[in-house]
Amino acid sequence: MRRCLLIEDDVDNADYVARGLRELGWAVSVCHDVLDAVGRAVDQAWDVIVLDRMLPNEVDGLSILRTVRSIGRRTPVVVLSALAATDERVRGLKAGCDDYLTKPFAFSELAARIEAVLRRSQPDEAVREMHVADMKVDLIARSVERAGRPIALQPREFRLLAYLLLHQGRVVTRTMLLEAVWDYRFDPQTNVIDVHISRLRSKIDKDAPVPLIHTVRGVGYTLSPAGPTRERAG
Amino acid sequence: MSSAFARWWSSIAFRQALIFGALVVVTMTVLLVIFYVQTVGVWQRRIDSQIDTTTQRLVNYHEKRGSAALATHINSLLGDGIDSDTEVYTLVGSDGHVVAGNLAVTGDITSPTHGISEHRVVRAGRASTSRLRVTRLDDGSTLIVGRDMQDQHELQQLIRGAILSGAIVTLLMAVVGALLFRRQLERRIGTIREIAVHIERGDLAQRVPISAQQDEFARLSRDINAMLDRIHALMEGVRHVSNTIAHNIRTPLSRVLARLYTAQNAANPAQALPEAVGAVIAEIQDLNVVFDKLLRIAEVEAGARRQTFGAVSLNAVAVNALELYDAVAEAKGLTLTHTLDVQPVVTGDGDLLANAVANLIDNAVKYTPSGGTIHVDTRCEGASVTLSVRDNGRGIPAEERTRVGARFYRLDRTLPGWGLGLASVLAIARLHGGNLQLEDAGPGLIARLVLPAPGA
Repeated sequence: MRRCLLIEDDVDNADYVARGLRELGWAVSVCHDVLDAVGRAVDQAWDVIVLDRMLPNEVDGLSILRTVRSIGRRTPVVVLSALAATDERVRGLKAGCDDYLTKPFAFSELAARIEAVLRRSQPDEAVREMHVADMKVDLIARSVERAGRPIALQPREFRLLAYLLLHQGRVVTRTMLLEAVWDYRFDPQTNVIDVHISRLRSKIDKDAPVPLIHTVRGVGYTLSPAGPTRERAG
Repeated sequence: MSSAFARWWSSIAFRQALIFGALVVVTMTVLLVIFYVQTVGVWQRRIDSQIDTTTQRLVNYHEKRGSAALATHINSLLGDGIDSDTEVYTLVGSDGHVVAGNLAVTGDITSPTHGISEHRVVRAGRASTSRLRVTRLDDGSTLIVGRDMQDQHELQQLIRGAILSGAIVTLLMAVVGALLFRRQLERRIGTIREIAVHIERGDLAQRVPISAQQDEFARLSRDINAMLDRIHALMEGVRHVSNTIAHNIRTPLSRVLARLYTAQNAANPAQALPEAVGAVIAEIQDLNVVFDKLLRIAEVEAGARRQTFGAVSLNAVAVNALELYDAVAEAKGLTLTHTLDVQPVVTGDGDLLANAVANLIDNAVKYTPSGGTIHVDTRCEGASVTLSVRDNGRGIPAEERTRVGARFYRLDRTLPGWGLGLASVLAIARLHGGNLQLEDAGPGLIARLVLPAPGA
């Protein structure tokens, strides 16, 4: 079972996140106290640490993160914070967090980002070719085939598909796609991502017996041959 | 008294005036002292040379005609009525008896001196001070020639008194002047301070009255008023912004509450609730987005991001944004075209510029009907680099254009959006030292992001 240390002083918020993660099969330890948090973050092994920035007594959660990093722990850390300004985000990333999520957030966004962070910490090195159902994707030649029939994709569409593919079976949010595929750290007003996805879908899922790209309502998208697993939205 | 003085001393006007007054007193005193010393010196030298000449003449007279003739001559000199108030002539015989003269001789005067010295004497029966020259004649008698200094001394006393009282009067005038000067300054500054107190209490409409004199205070008052005008305008701006923010946040909040109450009171809450929850989540997510965008605009306006400026290629920004919007444009039946200049590089924040350009294209896509064209071009012209987005949609009426860029201003409230797009573009343009220009494209709109070229 995957183990998550959740450091968050707000009891309600901690309950909400912990409950969600347990539903996804995580073993969650919740920690409300700073000193206790440092001890447990350092002493025990975790698959991921979810860390709130504003802790009691004016303690910045980033100091816990720095302690963990200073002793050489590479445990993936997702920081939660109401401090959304760019320099705060940069401060978080500099302190060594793997992702920085602004409050308020949807649980699904947090779950998707935790998955993405885990994935990044165990990279599938030198994957050349990927298969999903009857789709074959060559990541080096950047070519796609569905049922033996080549599909022409624009470079950006290919990056979109590749990102979905790397997170196969997991939900990716619109924000994650904007960050990963377009390198945008803001949300455009128009639903540009939805339109891109539907265009990609029309190219790879058209006439196919099994659709691969699925919409997860209120959260984002997932690529899987089996259809979306039931996700808790919000 | 000392506390009153301490209070006065703490006033710069008083201090300055007093120091200035003291300076005047010192200067005047030094001048008078020099004048006094010089005048007295000249008198003394004149008197001394007169005594010397007379002594010489009388010694010669004695050598030629002897003691008896000299005594007669002295008596005639004393009796001629010239200078009889001040002249001193006395001949003392070798036996110590006065032969002729107007001095009551006492012991030590008769010992001859080199040069002339001052003595207390009794002359014509009256005590006074005289400058005397005592000469021993060759027959053993003593000749005393001199001048009574009593008048001179009285005059000197008089001048000294005049100097002293002059100094005191000047000092008093300096103090009075300092007090007056202080009051005058206090009065002028007082009005400014009074206004400052009003402003501090929150009455920002107060202004410093400007006196008719075109002096330093009038200029200072004008500067202060200009500053107050600016602060007032800024405060009005902030008030306006907070009002609109409050409005734009309260409205969705009341919608949320209404939805929840309606669901709670519905005949069949179990049925109404899921739909209400969905709507409420959407509203709150929207609110979150609005909040985020407002904070971002505020962050941009604060200017801290200038510290991380680097070289940004506007072409790369444009291409990235075009690739983001090509799918939407295609779906809406719009044509997206572009012409790019060779190397339009600016100094700035890549993320923010991408945000600005995406916003401009977003607007164009939103306001251009199906079948329209959107054209993006970049251009370097002299000191500026321009990225323009031109559409042939409905455009913005000329009278509305100045209002665009204000937070929450929306041209068409039936279209989705929050009215923060152009506000953030404007903030980003200003952060980069540039501007956002909106022009009629007849039909349609040209939105130009004009940025300074690096090194310009």
